[in-house]
Amino acid sequence: MPSSNPLPPKENALFKRILRCYEQKQYKNGLKFAKQILSNPKFTEHGETLAMKGLTLNCLGRKEEAYEHVRKGLRNDLRSHVCWHVYGLLQRSDKKYDEAIKCYRNALKWEKDNIQILRDLSLLQIQMRDLEGYRDTRYQLLMLRPTQRASWIGYAMSFHLLEDYKNALNILETFLDQQQKGNNYDYEHSELLLYQNLVIQESGELQQALMHLENSQDQIVDKLTLKENLGDLNLRLQRYEKAARYYEELIRRNPENTFYYKKLIEARQLTDTYDILNFYTEYAELYPRAMPPQRLPLNIATDDQFVKLVDKYLRKGLRKGVPPLFVDLRSLYSDKGKVEAIEDLMMQYADALKQIGKFNASEVNNGPKEPASALLWVYYYLAQHFDYLEQTNRALIYIDAAIEHTPTLIELYVTKGRIYKHAGDPQEAFKWLDEAQGLDTADRYINSKCAKYMLRANNVREAEETCAKFTREGVSAMENLNEMQCMWFQTECALAYQRLGKYGEALKKCHEIDRHFSEIIEDQFDFHTYCMRKMTLRSYVGLLRLEDVLRGHPFYFKAARCAIEVYLHLFDEPLKDENAEQELSTGRTLLLF
Amino acid sequence: MTRANIELGNVTPHNIKQLKQLNSVVFPVSYNDKFYKDVLEAGELAKLAYYNDIVVGAVCCRIDTSEKSRRLYIMTLGCLYPYRRLGIGTMMVQHVLNYVEQDGNFDSIFLHVQVNNEGAIDFYKKFGFEIVETKKHYYKRIEPADAHVLQKNLRKVDQVNGTH
Repeated sequence: MPSSNPLPPKENALFKRILRCYEQKQYKNGLKFAKQILSNPKFTEHGETLAMKGLTLNCLGRKEEAYEHVRKGLRNDLRSHVCWHVYGLLQRSDKKYDEAIKCYRNALKWEKDNIQILRDLSLLQIQMRDLEGYRDTRYQLLMLRPTQRASWIGYAMSFHLLEDYKNALNILETFLDQQQKGNNYDYEHSELLLYQNLVIQESGELQQALMHLENSQDQIVDKLTLKENLGDLNLRLQRYEKAARYYEELIRRNPENTFYYKKLIEARQLTDTYDILNFYTEYAELYPRAMPPQRLPLNIATDDQFVKLVDKYLRKGLRKGVPPLFVDLRSLYSDKGKVEAIEDLMMQYADALKQIGKFNASEVNNGPKEPASALLWVYYYLAQHFDYLEQTNRALIYIDAAIEHTPTLIELYVTKGRIYKHAGDPQEAFKWLDEAQGLDTADRYINSKCAKYMLRANNVREAEETCAKFTREGVSAMENLNEMQCMWFQTECALAYQRLGKYGEALKKCHEIDRHFSEIIEDQFDFHTYCMRKMTLRSYVGLLRLEDVLRGHPFYFKAARCAIEVYLHLFDEPLKDENAEQELSTGRTLLLF
Repeated sequence: MTRANIELGNVTPHNIKQLKQLNSVVFPVSYNDKFYKDVLEAGELAKLAYYNDIVVGAVCCRIDTSEKSRRLYIMTLGCLYPYRRLGIGTMMVQHVLNYVEQDGNFDSIFLHVQVNNEGAIDFYKKFGFEIVETKKHYYKRIEPADAHVLQKNLRKVDQVNGTH
């Protein structure tokens, strides 16, 4: 429906120019044209012009004036879809999505087939997860633009998200039927097929999914995903031989992926420990440089078999000098027998290396000596081993032996700090991390660890100064770390402030983290159009599902718990003196955001 | 010995504390801030030695122009105890020898060594160094305080095969 107050041709031309200026981000010019219309005494109150002026002002950061103009414009022309649309856009830019949706709906009342408004509405609906509304809007868009690919995909996806697989698949099929003419299969087509397959799989029709995938093999360019899915589907359908063949192929592609080995064992239906160990031996010979066939058998081997295997594994790691050897094996420590076996071996290595430079005293005469660093790595391992077993004194003995052996190895100082941390002495812990940090000031990992230990020792300012070595120059480190969404730092800061009783500061940090999560949800917006256009539908669905549970992330949990604890504490024991009141109010104002 | 990877690396403001740490355990003498400040400017004349990616040795030299000659002075050359006799010292000496050869304008290389440090004396003799002088009370706070001056003459070689 046209405006209740149409402009004569000259003014109408000017108005069109305002629209163009807005699209091309020439806001200053837009205002000029608006002024030309509004300065005409006949049109000073022209609603659509006022609304557009407001929208333009908003883009120039003049929010209050923007609202004033847009509202006034709307009041002057309540039956104009432009005014309602503009009001919606303004609210949207202010993140008032529910309000914006209402405005768009009003706009559509006056102009029900406006593509732009429908698109804007659909974006808000998917963002707000109004899935039924989204489906209806996508339906209207499909009816209005049946030749556009995005119309079909969007409509199909709306059903998929509503778990109405039948309709989703019907629409995809109809669309693909019209499509398949040429033979120019590209990445986007391939992605679409994989998306279709995902929907079939989620509908539970595995048999059908497998058939669909096998039939589309030639058109799918993402071979890795193709094979992974073929392997998985065959396995779930108990077609073991075929599944095994796919997983063998996948291992050939990437022998470092532990998941493939587990799946291949399933496909070969190996359940007996002996058979599985043989399987790993077979693959260790096939791929001598691959880690999984050497590491995975340690999980299932027991007794003498375990000792034999872990002996070989440890020697290899110590010889090469693999710093995370302990972290690699830590998951075995749930088995007490394995812990003992490892400890015995390590003790034997330490003695033999000290005496004759070999891993075993009985190997005096055979072969070359081990590298001079092997003993160091044994000490390093034993320090972590005893630290894990909460035997602090023994851990310290070995870490000191390691430091005496090679005082230039930075990891040793980190571990020494960690031992003190685990023993409950954050001050001493931070001292050692600071030492480590000094030895290589170009290492950001050590730098961050050091900052974290400083925070554990409640030295917030020092931590900030430490981080500043790596943050952007000219900006305060605190600000830069917030901008970079450096959440581990902010969480540790919050916890330090909480311990120090600086509750306002603690809450400030917690709310900063909360804002990061809001921002991540906000950032989804760009993907609604982008993914549909680029056809990265599987990733897009993955993103939507991630965002749905975003605040379940441990980072959020940690910050939220801190905030809750602080608020409860402040409720139980309200602050009394004036300074503290002030402190608290910093936290309270943030609450209102 | 199982094969190990030995290589040299630069001293930078980021890792200079590793050099200090190393020198403090390898040498009985401690060096002042000026020493480390100069090292940072020394370029190829100061190097860290890595054994399987761990810093285990270092060499620091400077150019000495006293006594009307241009000589290379090895201020420190050392390796952590567990990593000795593995070719790390040799690699560092070799680096120094390559340096003076490429430069082509040095009269000699020299260094001081405590008179009782037979291991070091034998080590340098392998590379053609000779004891040319013994300085009494060279060291201040360690025993024995006397030092040999070990020197390797470079000009003679040049004169023999002058085309070098």
